[in-house]
Amino acid sequence: MPGSNPRLAKFLDSYGIVLVVVVMMLVLAAIKPEIFLKADNLTNILKQNASLALLALGMFVVIVTAGIDLSVGSTMGLAMVALAIASRAGVPWPLVLLVGPAIGLIVGWVNGIGLTWLRLPHPFIMTLGTLNIARGLTYLITNGAPVSGLQPEVRYLGQAYYGLGLAPPAGLPASLILVAICAIGLWFFLNKTSMGRHIFAIGGNPQAARVSGINVDKVLVIVYMICGCFAGLSGLLLAGRTDSGFPNAGIGVELDAIAAVIIGGASFFGGRGTVLGVLAGVLIMGILRNGLNINNVSAFWQQILIGMVIIIAVYIDVLRRQAATRH
Amino acid sequence: MKTLLLAGIAIAAMCTASYAADTYVVGMKGPGAGNPFWAAVEAGAKAKGAELGVDVVVVAPPAESDVQAQITQIEDLIAQGVAGIALAPTDPNALAPVVDAAKAAGIPVVFIDTQGINEGVTFIGTNNAVGAALAADYMCKNLPQGSEVAILQGLVSQSTGQARAEGSKKGLTDCGLKVVAEQTAEWDRAKGLSVTENIITGNPNIKGIFGSNDNMALGAVEALKAAAKLQDVMVVGFDANPDAAKSILAGEMTASVAQAPENIGGFGVQALVDLKAGKTIEPVIDTGTVLVTKENAADYQ
Repeated sequence: MPGSNPRLAKFLDSYGIVLVVVVMMLVLAAIKPEIFLKADNLTNILKQNASLALLALGMFVVIVTAGIDLSVGSTMGLAMVALAIASRAGVPWPLVLLVGPAIGLIVGWVNGIGLTWLRLPHPFIMTLGTLNIARGLTYLITNGAPVSGLQPEVRYLGQAYYGLGLAPPAGLPASLILVAICAIGLWFFLNKTSMGRHIFAIGGNPQAARVSGINVDKVLVIVYMICGCFAGLSGLLLAGRTDSGFPNAGIGVELDAIAAVIIGGASFFGGRGTVLGVLAGVLIMGILRNGLNINNVSAFWQQILIGMVIIIAVYIDVLRRQAATRH
Repeated sequence: MKTLLLAGIAIAAMCTASYAADTYVVGMKGPGAGNPFWAAVEAGAKAKGAELGVDVVVVAPPAESDVQAQITQIEDLIAQGVAGIALAPTDPNALAPVVDAAKAAGIPVVFIDTQGINEGVTFIGTNNAVGAALAADYMCKNLPQGSEVAILQGLVSQSTGQARAEGSKKGLTDCGLKVVAEQTAEWDRAKGLSVTENIITGNPNIKGIFGSNDNMALGAVEALKAAAKLQDVMVVGFDANPDAAKSILAGEMTASVAQAPENIGGFGVQALVDLKAGKTIEPVIDTGTVLVTKENAADYQ
């Protein structure tokens, strides 16, 4: 089929992943229409996956440079407890809102500096280090106990929703609007600014990027700071949603974020992927979990199925690359 | 220079505390600092040690999931020839060989909080099935017959998670309530929230939710608040942690079940001293559970 209709091939390449989401929704709507299509359930899917979406968007920028950031789950946890402590201490709420992203920027900066100044051989190592450091700090500042009860304004983004005439708790979650703004902003940044093009160039071919005069180190530091900032924002959402900064928050979510990016069609070798694909990857994982939940499939099976989806998604990527090189 | 520095650090690390032969050790699952439960176990053990006039040392791995660190700690304690070990195993199967090694070295061992798999080792702790049944009983007495209820399970791969899941289910079904959903939220507040959102979407008539720990129950409270259903649904948790006590006093959660962690530590030390003196002790010692409602929640803040 490739070559027979280049337009169709290009369309499928760009939007095929969105079709997968649509097909999954149609299948679930056919199996369990009375639950899946309920406004409550669709709202649940959106709000349960908003913080993962932000983590995945940040992770995507890193993966475009052929990097990886294992520290996002710990960064999220650290941001959550820090902002919860600030909120409990009576810091004015506009400042509390900035705590999460600020922590993320700091962890991201440390990651970037470690990668570029210390010349550690792979971001895996630096971010594995900060994964542990940020988690340790999280336990240290909370003594391992959750910090609960946040100011209502701090909770707003994570918890509020607009009813739009639907019966509660259905509605448009405020977290979805934040995700949409972040996604559009990131799309613009990556596709319409020179810095964004440099990020893709580094992922495609770092040597060529360096030779063509791109300050690779500077771009990489910025990339990890963006990823950290998104992780901090994601912590703001989860803390708002749960009304708590709990020190175990976000353990292991870096792997969910990586999975969503990869399922969404971004290449692990850098240089390729789209914001839309990442959001689709998040939705595929979210809809899969929701569909299995409402059909009472055990949590153990869900893990197995998500593992299989990751492998299949990357295998499709491999096939696509082979097809591309044959032309 | 670098090598010297590293060697120095390694040696310094090895030269930390070593314990005398009349020291009883309480090996907890997680650090007492900040975790009120383990802090109370630690306090109970220390108080009992002072009362009996024996040295009590409390150790714990840095995190409850750090099985390897706990094994290492116990191995080191055996090498030091301590007088007895009261152990809360992070993973009963993984810890079984070192417990056998301690017994072979003539060191008395009891399990506290979490039962191990080694035969002939006394277990001292909360009977979680009894505690969960206490919660179920409370829900039965305060909900109309035949009401729909749900259970948020912990990790059912652990004995605590299993005992609370089974104890609550049996209690709720036996008294005529209808359990319409049983799902795991892995002890986690955020997952408790998500799972409850899904449960109330599928079962809008639900009247009660039992959370196998307070974290999940507090997550359920958030989901119900967002759905404006909190006044129609009773939420009962387990552990009576300070957050839950506050929530009960605020009229959000309805009840919780408290363990007696001071007893877990204290009874543990007592049992070791008894074993060392050659006495026989019961194979299972229940440290008791208490129902916490608005009346007594203030004691648990």
